Amino acid sequence: MLTQTREVAAEPEEGGAGLKTHLPRANVVPLLLFQKREVYSVELSGIKDIEKTDKEDGKEKSRGLKNKCLERKKNHQKEELKKELDMDDHKLSKEELETKYGTNIITETPEIIKFLKQMVGGFSILLWIGAILCWIAYGIQYSHDQSSSLDNVYLGSVLALVVILTGVFAYYQEAKSTNIMSSFQKMIPQASVYLGSVLALVVILTGVFAYYQEAKSTNIMSTLVIRDSEKKTIPADQLVMGDIVEIKGGDQVPADVRLLSTQGCKVDNSSVTGESEPQARSCEFTHESPLETKNIAFFSTTCLEGTATAMVINTGDRTIIGQIASLASRVEDSKTPIAIEIEHFVHIVAGVAVSIGIIFFIIAVSMKYHVLDSIIFLIGIIVANVPEGLLATVTVTLSLTAKRMAKKNCLVKNLEAVETLGSTSIICSDKTGTLTQNRMTVAHLWFDHQIFVADTSENHSNQVFDQSSATWASLSKIITLCNRAEFRPGQESIPIMKKIVVGDASETALLKFSEVMLGNVMDIRKRNRKLSIHETEDPDDKRFLMVMKGAPERILEKCSTIMVNGQEQPLDSSTAEAFHTAYMELGGIGERVLGFCHLYLPTDEFPETYSFDVETMNFPTSNFCFVGLLSMIDPPRSTVPDAVTKCRSAGIKVIMVTGDHPITAKAIAKSVGIISANSETVEDIAKRLNLPVEQVNKQDAKAAVVTGMELKDMSPEQLDEILANHSEIVFARTSPQQKLIIVEGCQRQDAVVAVTGDGVNDSPALKKADIGIAMGIAGSDAARNAADMVLLDDNFASIVTGVEEGRLIFDNLKKTIAYTLTKNIAELCPFLIYIIAGLPLPIGTITILFIDLGTDIIPSIALAYEKAESDIMNRKPRHKKKDRLVNAPLALYSYLHIGLMQALGAFITYFTVYAQHGFLPSTILNLRVEWENDNVNDLEDSYGQEWTRYQRKYLEWTGYTAFFVSIMIQQIADLIIRKTRRNSIFQQGLFRNKIIWVGIASQIIIALILSYGLGSIQALNFTMIRPQYWFVAVPHAVLIWVYDEVRKLFIRLFPGSWWDKNMYY
Amino acid sequence: MTKEDKKFFNQSLAEWKLFIYNRITKSWGLILLFQLVCYGFLAAFFSFTMWTMLQTLNDEVLKYHDQIPSPGLTVFPKPVLALNFSFSLSDSESCQGIDCIAKSASTAVLSTYPPNEKIDLKYFPYYGKKLHGSYLQPLVAIQLSFGSDADIKEAMVECKIDGSPNLKTQNDHDKFLGRVTFKITMHA
Repeated sequence: MLTQTREVAAEPEEGGAGLKTHLPRANVVPLLLFQKREVYSVELSGIKDIEKTDKEDGKEKSRGLKNKCLERKKNHQKEELKKELDMDDHKLSKEELETKYGTNIITETPEIIKFLKQMVGGFSILLWIGAILCWIAYGIQYSHDQSSSLDNVYLGSVLALVVILTGVFAYYQEAKSTNIMSSFQKMIPQASVYLGSVLALVVILTGVFAYYQEAKSTNIMSTLVIRDSEKKTIPADQLVMGDIVEIKGGDQVPADVRLLSTQGCKVDNSSVTGESEPQARSCEFTHESPLETKNIAFFSTTCLEGTATAMVINTGDRTIIGQIASLASRVEDSKTPIAIEIEHFVHIVAGVAVSIGIIFFIIAVSMKYHVLDSIIFLIGIIVANVPEGLLATVTVTLSLTAKRMAKKNCLVKNLEAVETLGSTSIICSDKTGTLTQNRMTVAHLWFDHQIFVADTSENHSNQVFDQSSATWASLSKIITLCNRAEFRPGQESIPIMKKIVVGDASETALLKFSEVMLGNVMDIRKRNRKLSIHETEDPDDKRFLMVMKGAPERILEKCSTIMVNGQEQPLDSSTAEAFHTAYMELGGIGERVLGFCHLYLPTDEFPETYSFDVETMNFPTSNFCFVGLLSMIDPPRSTVPDAVTKCRSAGIKVIMVTGDHPITAKAIAKSVGIISANSETVEDIAKRLNLPVEQVNKQDAKAAVVTGMELKDMSPEQLDEILANHSEIVFARTSPQQKLIIVEGCQRQDAVVAVTGDGVNDSPALKKADIGIAMGIAGSDAARNAADMVLLDDNFASIVTGVEEGRLIFDNLKKTIAYTLTKNIAELCPFLIYIIAGLPLPIGTITILFIDLGTDIIPSIALAYEKAESDIMNRKPRHKKKDRLVNAPLALYSYLHIGLMQALGAFITYFTVYAQHGFLPSTILNLRVEWENDNVNDLEDSYGQEWTRYQRKYLEWTGYTAFFVSIMIQQIADLIIRKTRRNSIFQQGLFRNKIIWVGIASQIIIALILSYGLGSIQALNFTMIRPQYWFVAVPHAVLIWVYDEVRKLFIRLFPGSWWDKNMYY
Repeated sequence: MTKEDKKFFNQSLAEWKLFIYNRITKSWGLILLFQLVCYGFLAAFFSFTMWTMLQTLNDEVLKYHDQIPSPGLTVFPKPVLALNFSFSLSDSESCQGIDCIAKSASTAVLSTYPPNEKIDLKYFPYYGKKLHGSYLQPLVAIQLSFGSDADIKEAMVECKIDGSPNLKTQNDHDKFLGRVTFKITMHA
């Protein structure tokens, strides 16, 4: 994976370099086309001739890039001649050209493949086998006896239908969560969570269909292209390399293009590079990197103003965006932790099903059963063992959590990522925007030899520093006047801090600061006309005021006096000393410091009518009066320190990765708690002990600040060492590529890594991470596409709430699975007893499906709403390999304890039904052959009654229904005990989770409908049973509850004991 | 490493082995004991509920009769192949039934015993084998005689219980509820 990523990262660079050498020479389009091909063919091999060249090159590739280029040029010149003669592009029709050069469409994984994947994953294979066995069984039956019943055909079809419907459902859920991205902030619609009826399935099918149709007809833009020596408008997906297109303001760039002529062209590159400022484009080659150079515009970016003529150099999958999209699909195979867990679980269940199936097949055959019968037993065992509804339940559970997370500003794209976030053990976070507010804010002021603190909270409301000094009056005037930033008009009702400002980050900060401090800045500016040299507002004072701001040391150079308490004083060495101390102090905490000075111009030299000229500088540029310093920082979000503390206590390591300066990074890290107050870096210790850095014991330093330069020279082992030895790490001045290295380093530590990012360059790291988190506001589309999750508010604190939800869902999935697995034993035992003891079959295959896909569905979803038993944010993240979703205690306890109790409870009902109708337990033993013989219509029971075949069948169905109802009744007890794993139900609160009761009600209602409503439909094998049969299994249900309370009590009483280890799942 | 050290090391190793061994056996023992107690209890519980259920039953009177509301009919002797009887002329055996009519158009003449096709009320109802030990099932014998000139010596016979509106004979699913249909073929 790594090599893939690197290759792709390198690809545009090579392409760019190639462009530089080749494009300027090219002035004839066909020739140029051909050369372009040559350049790109290194990776893309679009054309056969070129492939040949490549093969020849192949051997030389190892000699290094430069060498290769030279060789290729030589080779190329020879080939060039040949190929120009070979050329047939002029003869081709446009359609042929399109096929030759590829159209401008980014390929996606076809929906149908995604859909089919859902049909064969998980248990589906097992059920397909079941269905096919059914049909085979019918085939054999039919060949023996033409009139044999169609039961097996029905069962096979039902199994196939189950697989298809669960597949459709899972696909729909996936599609829905992917679809959220297109309608970005829209939450998952409420509907169809409580499905179970045919109606809902119809809705889903139509939904899938609609989605599929929608996905097919994606927005096609059109573009202006010069073809056949005239301007034509064609759909952008018909563009080919070498097309000349015209782009004007407002257009989307239709492909990757090389600009040929421009007029004031500016593009919005935010979708590719994450730069939010409009980027000017021209025809000049300005940078080695194709991402930086001005003469390239990228597919899917928007031209904001101006016009340009450009040549298409990359289309479809070969565009930068396309490459990232295909990279994204290539890296996809890495499985999410929950996918691994579910696979593990499927393996366990399938293993149990297949082995029991085969064992009993052999037993059945050796007991002289007919092979056909043995096959039918096998089907029953498979159906009983496979929790058909579980995967759909898990999907719904995950999407419910995804919905809950979306409300908390974590938009999950990939459902499985919901849980990944919960098992996260390292978060590599960006600084700007994620940990900080992403706006420069005035943090400190220095005037009158004193440092004042300004309020940096989100609303700036609480400015408490002393504003009585006359120096402040002057300083605030300079801040207000010496600033070109302006508020956009029409924002009167918006709070100051949220207003949109035209101007750079520092000036914006100053503008907002002065607006907060002084009120209407624009008005003040109006009253003090002209920029930087101002008339004053005092009508008596005819002097001009000249103000200046800039880097403090440069400003100080121009000053001869300094203002203290409103009085100008000569600037001596002691005041300069004080200035330097303050400057260093503010700079040392990572803030951007600006100096401010002013000068009142004497009226005799500069009368009111004096005309200033910037060109000739007919005004003084020195001997200013220094007024003060002002420092700015991008302050941390107020919620972040708490969130970082929470991560700490949750055992999650937070690593800051930023492109910013180490000092700033460290300052922010300290202020948000990523580096805690009392921990030191190696450098800090060295400074404190006055030792050279090399002599400090690295083990003593908890914190580390590593720069990109250091990282570059590090071996993977050294990086591992740093990651393992320091608990608080800040990476500063790193490139997006290095982010990938850091992520890989973290993953080598067996950690589940979450990474935040916004630019296109971040997308490899986002992909590589176990969970990539893109920024909803600042993020580029590519980053959002590569990510598994989008933070709608760009706020780090939202990640922590996401972690909490993720951990909760893992716990609750355990409960759901335990609940679902339990009844499998009660479904399986009937078949085993049937084979071995020859009883009439206690429960039918179809009936089992009604439990798995009917009564049990809503209760198992209801467990997802269960609250945490204890503070889940106070425990360590789960270990990927040790803390399994389905562990041995869970399987054993569910199967062999509760499951067995359920089976016994259901059998009591079964025996009761048979005994009360005439067949005592002793009679039905080994009765199977006679019982199932169609020609025996006078089978005598314990009371001497004789039963016809159909009467026996009807009794058998009554048995099925009673068995079904018993399992359902005991599943209610099972549902209640699964609410907690450690605490007593009474500690958790029996009625706190209302959905559980909805689930219980649904179970009872579905069973009532099946027995009394559909009891007359023969094919379903339900009958109207006597009401008292509903209560026969109640003692066993109570036993289940009591037994589990005892289990939990011992777990709480003896933590860490043998009992705890074996009975806590 | 001195000799003593080695000895100590060996000793501690052995101690460890013993400890681990103990732990494992102890743990396995505990598991076995626990399983024994657990399943023993479960078995006892199951037996108890089963016993309680059986106590509610009456040996003499069946709890629910509703599953067999009407008597079924069957043919004796048991046919070899589903309800087809064939005879050869040399064999002179006869068969039984109630209210029988020859269904298919055939030349066969049907006669029954008892001849009036009535069965004494003493046969109904049946109180179960404990209370009604000497009960004998009602039988109807039928006799078919084919005309000697008939080409097809074959007849479908349907027997039905008649005379009480409570007795069901028309269940689509149950071909033996209050009726039975069979075919008799005579070979030359």
